Amino acid sequence: MVRLQPDPFLNELTNMFERTTEKGSVWVTLKHSSDKSKLKRDKMKTAGEKIEYKCLVRATDGKKTISTMVGVKDHQRFQSSYATILKTRMTALKKRERKDKRKAADSDKKQDPKKQSSAVKPSN
Amino acid sequence: MVYVASWDDFLEKSLLLFRSQPDQTRYSTKYRHCDGKLVLKVTDDKECIKFKTDQAQDARKMEKLNNIFFTLMANGPQADISEVGVKEQIEAQPAKKGRGRKQ
Repeated sequence: MVRLQPDPFLNELTNMFERTTEKGSVWVTLKHSSDKSKLKRDKMKTAGEKIEYKCLVRATDGKKTISTMVGVKDHQRFQSSYATILKTRMTALKKRERKDKRKAADSDKKQDPKKQSSAVKPSN
Repeated sequence: MVYVASWDDFLEKSLLLFRSQPDQTRYSTKYRHCDGKLVLKVTDDKECIKFKTDQAQDARKMEKLNNIFFTLMANGPQADISEVGVKEQIEAQPAKKGRGRKQ
């Protein structure tokens, strides 16, 4: 498990997606975490200290695992970069087939009266 | 493994799970480019709900869910998410004075 800073993590995640284009999966897991052991957290609670929580993000391609902690200040930037990576990479999913079929059916119907009207015009 | 059929159901249940067990709950995403499949899983190690899809439209919904979870997990379970959107967040600051929304 490699712990990285948010930006190198995003770069490595992009590489993972590139490597698994032909075969393999990419798992990304999000968890609310304080990065401290349970013992330490309990001690902090009894001492009245505020525990700082972050978002733990892990990614793996089945062989290599990387992780990073995203804090409150970084999370907006991280989330938009992460969304961009996903949008660029998740291209294998199907587009809306049903609506396309309906559109094709509608456009066929529209074309028929058009053909008739265009056939009428040149005759005039 | 419980697969949920509707997206809205999945969203609701996952938020409930997280709010009840913030320390135990985790949100996983698995993407396989070769199969063109996306699977989402939210579990607190006692209950588990999953959502499976191969539709591009669900990828957009998933992005929204990602934003929600990032906000919740970075800020804490009490964080106010009320329709978290990337555009809204970016426009939130300058739009405080003006009342116009998207133009």
